[in-house]
Amino acid sequence: MSTAAGGPAGGGIAPTQMIILGAVGGLAGIYLTMLNQAMDTTIFSFLGGIGAIFAAVWGADAVRRVCSYGLGTGVPSIGMVALGMGIVATMFGLTLPEVSGIPTIAGPIISFIVAAIIGLLIGLMSNKILMMNIPIMEKSMVEIAGAGALVMIGLSTAIAGSFDIVAIMPAVVETGFIALVFIGGAMTILHPFNACLGPDEKQDRTLGVAVSKGALIMALAGFASLAVESMDAMSGALTTIVGLVIWVVYFKRFMKHSHRDSYLVTGTGLLPTEEELE
Amino acid sequence: MVDPIVMDMGIVALTGALATIAGAAEDLESDVGSQSNPNSQVQLAAQMNFPHRIFNKAISGEPPAYGLWCASGATVASVLMAKEMSIFFAIAIGSFVAAIILGLFSVTAHMGRTASQKRFKQPAYMDMVIGHVPSIMAHGYIAIFCIVAFSYIMDHFMGHPFPLPLLAFLWGVAAGAIGSSTGDVHYGAEREFQNQPFGCGLNAAFSGNIVRKGEAGLRNGIDNVWACAKLGGPLTGLALGMTVFLDNWRTTVFEGMNTIIAGLIIVMILILANRMVEVKARKAYGPYKDEDGGEVA
Repeated sequence: MSTAAGGPAGGGIAPTQMIILGAVGGLAGIYLTMLNQAMDTTIFSFLGGIGAIFAAVWGADAVRRVCSYGLGTGVPSIGMVALGMGIVATMFGLTLPEVSGIPTIAGPIISFIVAAIIGLLIGLMSNKILMMNIPIMEKSMVEIAGAGALVMIGLSTAIAGSFDIVAIMPAVVETGFIALVFIGGAMTILHPFNACLGPDEKQDRTLGVAVSKGALIMALAGFASLAVESMDAMSGALTTIVGLVIWVVYFKRFMKHSHRDSYLVTGTGLLPTEEELE
Repeated sequence: MVDPIVMDMGIVALTGALATIAGAAEDLESDVGSQSNPNSQVQLAAQMNFPHRIFNKAISGEPPAYGLWCASGATVASVLMAKEMSIFFAIAIGSFVAAIILGLFSVTAHMGRTASQKRFKQPAYMDMVIGHVPSIMAHGYIAIFCIVAFSYIMDHFMGHPFPLPLLAFLWGVAAGAIGSSTGDVHYGAEREFQNQPFGCGLNAAFSGNIVRKGEAGLRNGIDNVWACAKLGGPLTGLALGMTVFLDNWRTTVFEGMNTIIAGLIIVMILILANRMVEVKARKAYGPYKDEDGGEVA
């Protein structure tokens, strides 16, 4: 671990608020895509992408909180664990209604709950068996797994236009776009803290990266949906454009925050002198 | 009439050649920005009072990063192919989009890490961002193009059951893992600590004390890639090229159980060869000794 870390991470937005923002925002975005079926269109698919961004921000904040206990090189690993848990829970949760007769609408909630249970088990194993002894491990793993599942469902819904597994299987899994959803989702959760890691890391800057990267993957998901037969081109284009607009806004904000937080931003120059470093 | 096996072997050779170029470009791309293992020393340098002008591209480990670039490139290429675009242009445009995404991730990683080192007085030099990111994108483009291209060949000509984005993702992860394990040694151990005697190991007291001054002026990522292009890059290319070539060769030449047996024999030969190289190197260079002949490390 290369940072001066080892304690809880602070920041403007409290963990509880982040959980509400991510879980409610993520699920709301996913469920609002049901407007597609209600109005017999696919134009509302971009809302799945917005939901995925909310969940990614929550996931990135959870990674930030758990990794500030000294997981330097473990940051990417924890992101991959998130989506590993997320993909199992997502596929299970979305398929269960199809095979058991439960209404399809319950799919995302089942995925979310299953992800939380898997997260809790992994968290308990990390602390009790591997003896990592990180105080917030169990809670964080539940959060990361839940956020991972919501990011996956959100992005898949943005591509397929529905969270029904009957729509997701041909549009996302058989086309191979699941690879983009999996690794893109993982990177939106793990990259922000990895990119901003250091003793002077700030929550607003880190979470801004999560929004901009989530938006970038959302734009790609929109482009991918152009190859899906059940989606019309306008819906895919709208998802891409909305993603790009959010990306521009948050990338500019990130650069502003980087200038604010840096010791010195200069066009070019020599290294600081010995006197300056003292 | 050309014998089908000749045609098949030609395809296998082509995938091997593409993978060799991809591996070399992948490793060199990671060296421009100091990604993966050597990054910890770049990050540590500023914290140990050694500010530097070396790019700090802490996107993530190389395997997930290359998984994303290749999956993105292949996704865009698949969509364009589904819209009847020519295969060559579809892969070229897909790789270009992926290279742009790589550039954007590089900027956030470098600026984010530098800003988080405020207390160590590490300045953010904007000319470094402007100078390094195009080089990162250019190396990345070559790597992504080659990986997506040989994944397409496997998918369409060799009958691989996986769809293109998934196959490219898996090969991207493999390329990243090989680059991380093969090429990083040359950059991390040899280039960053060029001022230490060869084979001395890294004493904890030298942590973060990387070479910061170059042949002319202050050293940067472009200087590092110039040095690594001699050994680290080509070796990574050879490793990925051999992996792809040997794997495709055994599935093309053999059938059924024989494929698995051939695979096991190849792995055994490689393990033996590795052991022989290791023993030879230990005998030749041995433990690092000080001037009196006593073992130091």
